[in-house]
Amino acid sequence: MKRVSVLCLGALAPAMLLVWLLPASPAAQDPATAKAETANAWTPSRTPWGDPDLQGVWRYEATMPLERPKNLAGKTLLTDEEVAQRDAVEREQEAKRLAGEEGTAVGRQSVADSPIRGNEYNSFWQDHGRPRKVYNRTSLIVEPPDGRLPFTPDAQKAEARSAARYGVGPYESYLDPDTGERCLTDGVTALMWQGPNGGHNRIVQSPGYVTILHEEYRDRRIIPVDGRPHGSIRQWFGDAVARWDRNTLVVDTINFADKTNYEWANVWTRPSETLHLVERFTRSDAETIDYEITVEDPTTFTKPWKAVIPITRLPDKTEIYEYACHEGNYAMANLLSGARAERGGR
Amino acid sequence: MRNGLLVVAAVVVVAGIAVARLGVTPAAGRAEAYTAPRTADGKPDLNGVWQAFSTANYDLQAHPARAAMALRPAPTRTEPGGLGRATPADLPAAPVRALGAVGGVPAGPGVVEGNEIPYQSWAAARKKENFDDWLTRDPEIKCYLPGVPRATYMPYPFQILESTNTILIAYEFAGATRTIHMEDAGSSPSDTWMGWSRGHWEGDTLVVDVTSFNDQTWFDRAGNFHSDALHVVERYTPVSPYHLMYEATIEDPKVFTRPWKISLPLYRRYEKDAAILEYKCVEFVEELLYGQVGIRDPGAEQTHK
Amino acid sequence: MKTTPMRTLAGVLAGAGLLCVAASAAAHHAFAAEFDAKKPLKLRGTVARMEWINPHTWIHLDVKTAGGKVERWMIEGGPPNALYRRGFTKDSLPVGAEIVVEGFRSKDGSLRGNGRDITFADGRKLFLGSSGTGAPGEKPGAPAR
Repeated sequence: MKRVSVLCLGALAPAMLLVWLLPASPAAQDPATAKAETANAWTPSRTPWGDPDLQGVWRYEATMPLERPKNLAGKTLLTDEEVAQRDAVEREQEAKRLAGEEGTAVGRQSVADSPIRGNEYNSFWQDHGRPRKVYNRTSLIVEPPDGRLPFTPDAQKAEARSAARYGVGPYESYLDPDTGERCLTDGVTALMWQGPNGGHNRIVQSPGYVTILHEEYRDRRIIPVDGRPHGSIRQWFGDAVARWDRNTLVVDTINFADKTNYEWANVWTRPSETLHLVERFTRSDAETIDYEITVEDPTTFTKPWKAVIPITRLPDKTEIYEYACHEGNYAMANLLSGARAERGGR
Repeated sequence: MRNGLLVVAAVVVVAGIAVARLGVTPAAGRAEAYTAPRTADGKPDLNGVWQAFSTANYDLQAHPARAAMALRPAPTRTEPGGLGRATPADLPAAPVRALGAVGGVPAGPGVVEGNEIPYQSWAAARKKENFDDWLTRDPEIKCYLPGVPRATYMPYPFQILESTNTILIAYEFAGATRTIHMEDAGSSPSDTWMGWSRGHWEGDTLVVDVTSFNDQTWFDRAGNFHSDALHVVERYTPVSPYHLMYEATIEDPKVFTRPWKISLPLYRRYEKDAAILEYKCVEFVEELLYGQVGIRDPGAEQTHK
Repeated sequence: MKTTPMRTLAGVLAGAGLLCVAASAAAHHAFAAEFDAKKPLKLRGTVARMEWINPHTWIHLDVKTAGGKVERWMIEGGPPNALYRRGFTKDSLPVGAEIVVEGFRSKDGSLRGNGRDITFADGRKLFLGSSGTGAPGEKPGAPAR
């Protein structure tokens, strides 16, 4: 539904997923190195029919932002000291959220400074009972090397427009809120690591299929791994087919429908007819999938970009709950009638 | 001569065995001993894309063809036939008139055992109101989640995906998905549109017990409804490589006087590379739901172009 | 390494624009279009009904006015799923519970608002702590999920 809210004391662009950079334990390594080492050490479990087992409920629980913040330009990695400092703050604030504290104690702005932005609801609604992991990489994006999204000029303008109108409007009809506010979807691109309710994904495997159930909007991807060719129908989620490359699931998705004429909270997640996604899922240990996504779309980007994202497995009994967003979308009617009232129409 | 008889006997025996080996297509209603193939971990394999071909979604009970789902009822007749001029039959209500025969309801034999839905008297009156006010009340029109068992027999395919301790039923309509918990059933923290499903095997039959419903869904387009006390037990029984027999027992002490049962076949979509596709109908109905609420009405602007 | 007091460190990080909580915000979608930051509200009432839906719960609250009339308000809360995963259910805020709500009133003047801060009427905080996630390091006695 929404972009991730960034409750910042600094002036960071809200248009991007800017998770804060906090120190991790000094033992943290560059995940790429860690992956190379553990991939040899850990034997993946297999489904009864012999495919590598990726099943479970998964979530991105680290602090790396998608893009390298501008004030860290040129800095690919944090120092061990910086990582340790950030980890300590992360754990402290998690404990405070569980204890019911609000405001600056849990990293938000004070209500006095901003009663709304970042303070819409008590933090107990968002707390996941798990502190986030601090990595030393300064961005999820690894290509291009500057760690920034390579927008085309038009897409850059579109992203700036989206950021400027977010929460501001105009909201004159149901076309004006973004796709998430309309309870449609936030798209496929960020599905494995973002979501306004925490971005939980359940991966379920059956012979010839890998199914991903995303909690928000009840987004669903049923991905055939049976060698079939792409279908020809254009859809919001395109057409995905996959194959196993040793222990890595490689998913190729094309045939997206053109949805660029919608409002998107994050323009970089919008599908167009030229969007092509290649994803790689490798379970590097019992608790981690190393997820890589390469996004190619000349409608939105000047060149393909790639992000590497560690995804964490949640306890076995974790559930994905029903997401009946449209069924209870009081907010849509409210914001339309609110805009009308402001205009003096009621 | 005896050799000739022996040859004939042998031929008869061999022919008999051959006929037995052909197997028998299950006749309707007969419990044939079909055994489904097994998954790699030894469970009955119900994986695949399935679809009901039934008029149940129009009306669970037996009914003749109707002109529309939203009717302008025929006027009450005051005279015996023939003594006055012809009067109208039940005809489409104005909002659906333009659909013509596309908007009609086909006749159907019904899927309810005994053809009776045992409503309490207050509920029978409510059902009639629902039927008469279908256009404003049927949640299907608003692209709302269809609930159980309606999702099974809507005119869209669904896919059964069997993993080791979880079975998913993925419906095309509105992207609804059910997780059938086969172990560690857990419980639902709240009331939901699609309920909370716990499954187990009885022989080849997948039995699914569903509770924790809200009161928002209907069973069909005829106004049949339930409360949040709804309890459904489904049975999916493979009867051939291409058919499941689906049964659902429906119980709701706030609405019905006793449990009642429906049954209908489900057919495998066995064309090559069968798949369920997107039916993201939310944006099909935004104009209907919100067109009049905002400052601008995009639909009105379009027609005036 | 030099030990830096946490507050100073936080201040340094904050100044550098780095101290940001990326709370997964179901929040400010079109908050500013729905609710009016210039119309704060504070209500005390009893829960008549609670819709545990996504991405916002809605609490139907019976509020007694000064004149003794009872008004039915609709209060928007946050998303319920993080609460479910910590073991809370719809029974955790039952019908009849008395709560205090602080937030902002809806722009269209109707009896609706957002519940920025919700507490029990006796001052106790709601949905405190974790009822158990089964996570490693879980405190004993928490129900396994």
